[in-house]
Amino acid sequence: MSSIGTGYDLSASTYSPDGRIFQVEYANKAVDNSGTAIGLRCKDGIVLAVEKLVLSKLLVPGANKRIASVDLHAGIATAGLLADGRHLANRARDECESYRDNYHTQIPTKMLAERLSLYFQAYTLYSSVRPFGLSAIVAGWDAPSNADTKEKKAAGEPKLFCVEPSGVYWGYRGCAIGKGRQLARTEIEKLKLEELTVEEALVDAARIIHTVHDEAKDKAFELELSWISPASGWKHAPVPKEVADEAEAKAKKIIEEENEMEE
Amino acid sequence: MNHFPSTSWGKPRNDALDPYASFPIHQGRPQTNDVFADGVQRTQQPIVTGTSVLGIKFKGGVMMAADNLASYGSLARFKDIVRLHPVGEQTLLGASGDMADFQQVKRLLENLITSEALQDDGHALNPSQIYEYLSNVMYQKRSKFDPFWNAFLVGGLDHDGEPFLSYVDLLGTTYSSPSLATGYGNHLAQPLLRRALERLGPDGYKNLEEDEAKKIIQSAMRVLFYRDARALNKFQIATVTKRGVEVSEPMEAPTEWGFAEGLRGYGNSDETY
Amino acid sequence: MTSQGAKLSNYTGAPQQRSFNPYSDNGGTILAISSENFAIVAADTRQSEGYSIQTRYAKKCYQLTDEVVMAVVGFQADGTALAKRVKQRLEWYYHTHSEVPSLASIARMVQTMLYGKRFFPYYAHVILGGIDRDGTGAVYSFDPVGSYERESCRAAGAAQSLVQPFLDNMVYSKNQTADPSVAPLPKGERPVLPMETVLSLVIDAFTGATERHIEVGDGLQIWTIVKGEGAKLRELPLKRD
Repeated sequence: MSSIGTGYDLSASTYSPDGRIFQVEYANKAVDNSGTAIGLRCKDGIVLAVEKLVLSKLLVPGANKRIASVDLHAGIATAGLLADGRHLANRARDECESYRDNYHTQIPTKMLAERLSLYFQAYTLYSSVRPFGLSAIVAGWDAPSNADTKEKKAAGEPKLFCVEPSGVYWGYRGCAIGKGRQLARTEIEKLKLEELTVEEALVDAARIIHTVHDEAKDKAFELELSWISPASGWKHAPVPKEVADEAEAKAKKIIEEENEMEE
Repeated sequence: MNHFPSTSWGKPRNDALDPYASFPIHQGRPQTNDVFADGVQRTQQPIVTGTSVLGIKFKGGVMMAADNLASYGSLARFKDIVRLHPVGEQTLLGASGDMADFQQVKRLLENLITSEALQDDGHALNPSQIYEYLSNVMYQKRSKFDPFWNAFLVGGLDHDGEPFLSYVDLLGTTYSSPSLATGYGNHLAQPLLRRALERLGPDGYKNLEEDEAKKIIQSAMRVLFYRDARALNKFQIATVTKRGVEVSEPMEAPTEWGFAEGLRGYGNSDETY
Repeated sequence: MTSQGAKLSNYTGAPQQRSFNPYSDNGGTILAISSENFAIVAADTRQSEGYSIQTRYAKKCYQLTDEVVMAVVGFQADGTALAKRVKQRLEWYYHTHSEVPSLASIARMVQTMLYGKRFFPYYAHVILGGIDRDGTGAVYSFDPVGSYERESCRAAGAAQSLVQPFLDNMVYSKNQTADPSVAPLPKGERPVLPMETVLSLVIDAFTGATERHIEVGDGLQIWTIVKGEGAKLRELPLKRD
């Protein structure tokens, strides 16, 4: 790598002569080493799915979650350093609570993504800190303020953003980060996200994670699924076990059938 | 946790303020004296107030009632205030006293419930846990001479499915009973509620049906309207049962004023004016 | 003096304040008696404020360890806050030392906790009862700011002035004409009374206090702590009027 040995990669507060900040680029490497995470914005909600690589057989199932609820209506999925992800979730919770205290409504998802991106960006400015080794998919349901009835909540819309180590964030219909992001993006592009319901997209999400999983390099993984859907009352919540298992089974079946076709 | 690198990170310890380095540096440095401390005011009296809240246990649940009035002194200022507030799925909070403080308490409890929900562990706080939190808050505030000027009833179904009903007020005083009432209700309605329960024997509430409880509560609300000058004949009744928390639409108790027709002057006086 | 003059002289320059009173008195009575190998701690279950009964089912006794029970009376919020902190301190003590402190040690701890709030006191009268280090029944009583002593019998709370003289008379045989056939008790030594006698004394004391004091009644909780047998709670009704 051209950066090594030049001395321009030792601090986030030093540019290289051609205008790059190598520490931020290295942070992206930390993201790319991580298990894949995807987010799908459907017509009635959002699905988040994570390929959580299981580092040891001794770990309890469900340990080291990478999807976190940060407010009743919002959640984040992270790829990168696990501990950074948890720290970011706590920060996001603080931001959501602060917005609630100030305005007595839930934070619009874009605002949450922006505040998290500002936080990321602050860690690219100082020699005393290291940028986050993290990309985060931010999912939320923007309902009219103080929506208390089912009808009012249903009138909201799903929002999806991705924040990167540099502090940029973009809005997406569907996005993927981590190891299998390239393949995952190609797969997501094939979906008709505007027409899909969350329940349908659940199977696609499971299928994509299973497809991008590289069995040769990484052995065991757990599929982590969360959603914001009519079924969850437009709250961000882990997908109930039975529903998740069913979606995963369907996904596996589809993959098997595709493999048979190829043969 | 101070998340901003610029405000405290990387700054040297201040030995004048923290001579024994007792603060972990990531928490920032201890607060210096607040120059505005003299100007800080604390609640000395309630301003916009709600009157009594009634609560009674019955077979399989808890019922509460409160009227929709918030008074400004003797002025009937707001006539559509809801003083029965669901907290989470299984708890009900009934508030009398200062309505601004009540709103602040609602916010505190909302944050409590939310942060508990964000754990994604499927666990939700039950009424006795919410009550413990609230009474700790109330006692801490009174100990800072800055009380929340309220008397609250907390009701619900506890983890074992048993009805739960407890009281806490601005002093941090706490107690439980099968029937409870705040403010004037404690003088006027509580005896009626107690009588109704005592008629049903020991642990009488276990023999009290929901519709029966509703009748008792409604008649108690009527008595309050007759005799409490800060009460309104527009009130709500809420229940917590297996069905969850249900807060009714505002209702009225039938009243009878015919006797007033022939009254002149005060009491038994024969004088007419 | 003109009315205006009166007004001016009354004006102090300080803002008018109606200050918040952080205390209340919730009535009720507690008592404890100890003998050679046991102690009894008892309290009524009425909690009141002014002429209103808040509840008929309030607990004023807290079991702290297998052999120590604490009773608190005064301002309920302070009482429960104190009891909660004492229990928490005992839990911490247990986690650091894997054992439970003796009654004498708990008593000293309670005194430091009470005195720690010397300038914003817990408005609470505390009585500890149990088995002490010497293996005998013991009672420690405290004032709200932590002054304490070991005694063999003490009443506190609303009906203290009714119950204590009764106990002095019955336990210490005060103001009794001495029975010439019985040798007088050596000075400073406490009378050895059997459990049944003490139990009926406690019940009589509370039924009497219930008759004569409006803040006492509803129910009676009696904790008996017997050496080697631990603590046991009995509950009896008192008049609810």
